Amino acid sequence: MTEAELASHEWWEQYKETVNSDPEMQVRGHDRFDENFYVQLDDERFLVAMDDGKVSEVIPNPGLNQEWSFGVEGGRGAWEEFVREVPPAFNHEIIASNYRTQVKGESGHLQLTGNNRQIFQNLRPFQRALDLMRHTHNNGGNL
Amino acid sequence: MNEREPGTVEEITGKYVHVDVNGTTQRVYFEEAGPEDGIPLLCQHTAGCNNQEWRHLLADEEITDEYRVIAYDLPFHGKSVPPTGQEWWEEDYTLTADRFAATIVAIADALELEDPIYMGSSMGGNITLELADWHPDRFRALIGLECGAYSPGFYIDWLDDPHVNTTEVNAYACWGLMAKQSPEQTRRETMYLYEQGATGVFKGDLYYYSVDHDYREKLGDIDATECPLYVVNGEYDYLTTPEDGKEVAEGVGDGCVSVEIADIGHFPMSENPVLFNAYLKEILADITGERSGRLPEVLTPDDVGVELNRTEARAVRREAEEAE
Repeated sequence: MTEAELASHEWWEQYKETVNSDPEMQVRGHDRFDENFYVQLDDERFLVAMDDGKVSEVIPNPGLNQEWSFGVEGGRGAWEEFVREVPPAFNHEIIASNYRTQVKGESGHLQLTGNNRQIFQNLRPFQRALDLMRHTHNNGGNL
Repeated sequence: MNEREPGTVEEITGKYVHVDVNGTTQRVYFEEAGPEDGIPLLCQHTAGCNNQEWRHLLADEEITDEYRVIAYDLPFHGKSVPPTGQEWWEEDYTLTADRFAATIVAIADALELEDPIYMGSSMGGNITLELADWHPDRFRALIGLECGAYSPGFYIDWLDDPHVNTTEVNAYACWGLMAKQSPEQTRRETMYLYEQGATGVFKGDLYYYSVDHDYREKLGDIDATECPLYVVNGEYDYLTTPEDGKEVAEGVGDGCVSVEIADIGHFPMSENPVLFNAYLKEILADITGERSGRLPEVLTPDDVGVELNRTEARAVRREAEEAE
């Protein structure tokens, strides 16, 4: 398990390395994944800038000078469940977690935001990028 | 699942049966294994997929010693091509409850199955409610895996959108329906099977799954006393949860049992075949009366002697219980 706290600067640096060395981010067209997305834990927002399936930079508190297509919002507790080596049911993947929020109206889960067309156009590399947060957090773990 | 020795020929056979469904002849592909006079176990795949989801069940000799396992491709899926007598390409494929139930009964009739056990997952699980309601005399028992009275929110337009890579998206929209502790190899194979569906078929099946199927006010219409109904939902199934399964059993009443299967998700037979087959043996033993005592509310890997990525999985369960 990484010593770094989830979403700390050091953690995001490790995340960047994890994504950028992931073989699946480079196959079946995932190397054309260029949409920036954000990850929000409580009120803390981080922009993950993507370039050819790789993270070019992670920007805390993005503002008017940045652009993004979609994002994921949730409480830090939900994210900490999401990155656990074996995550608990319903916070174990983004579509699952979003379903419990959007369709079932439950709290304590994650929620997708932004352009749904672009989410589905980029679903797998985006989902993989999120799953790699779990990999980063545990130096491995179930993806 | 271990790799077999080169030269191994599996006992599974594949054939086509011509089936009359509401006046249309459908050429239906099915695979089977087990003795001809075994108890027929008729298996329905999930939405947009095909019968290969059942390949590990078809290869489980402990089951095929006693059961004649039959897994078919619903028309428009797998090797069951669309009907040759229709210009099907001029309209969207749309599955309704009527058409789905009629097809299953027609397949059982065409194969002349006597007192078969029907088992299906997801949309194949939901349809056990219509089968229990409309055709209880046709089956010995019904096993609804990942079954709910209502499963809204998955009739999603992006699943046949021309701007979306639907081959990959129709699969990976379902990635989180599986438990992360299921082996990655079999989870990936499940996605590979999903990537084989024709355009619009997954979404067309989901019309039945998320729109046409709604038994919230009709569970009381089902009499499961003659044909027992088992509702078996995985812990990680976020669409039809174990809680949803419990509500079905309570709504139907006598003859209907719900069982939560732990550490597994919405595609139990293909995402973790070893664990699922062990769970299934408990259900089948209950149907045949070979099992002593009632089925528990929750079946766990420990209960059926299966080891998996257990340490963390147990921790998840313990914390969930503590939170209650």
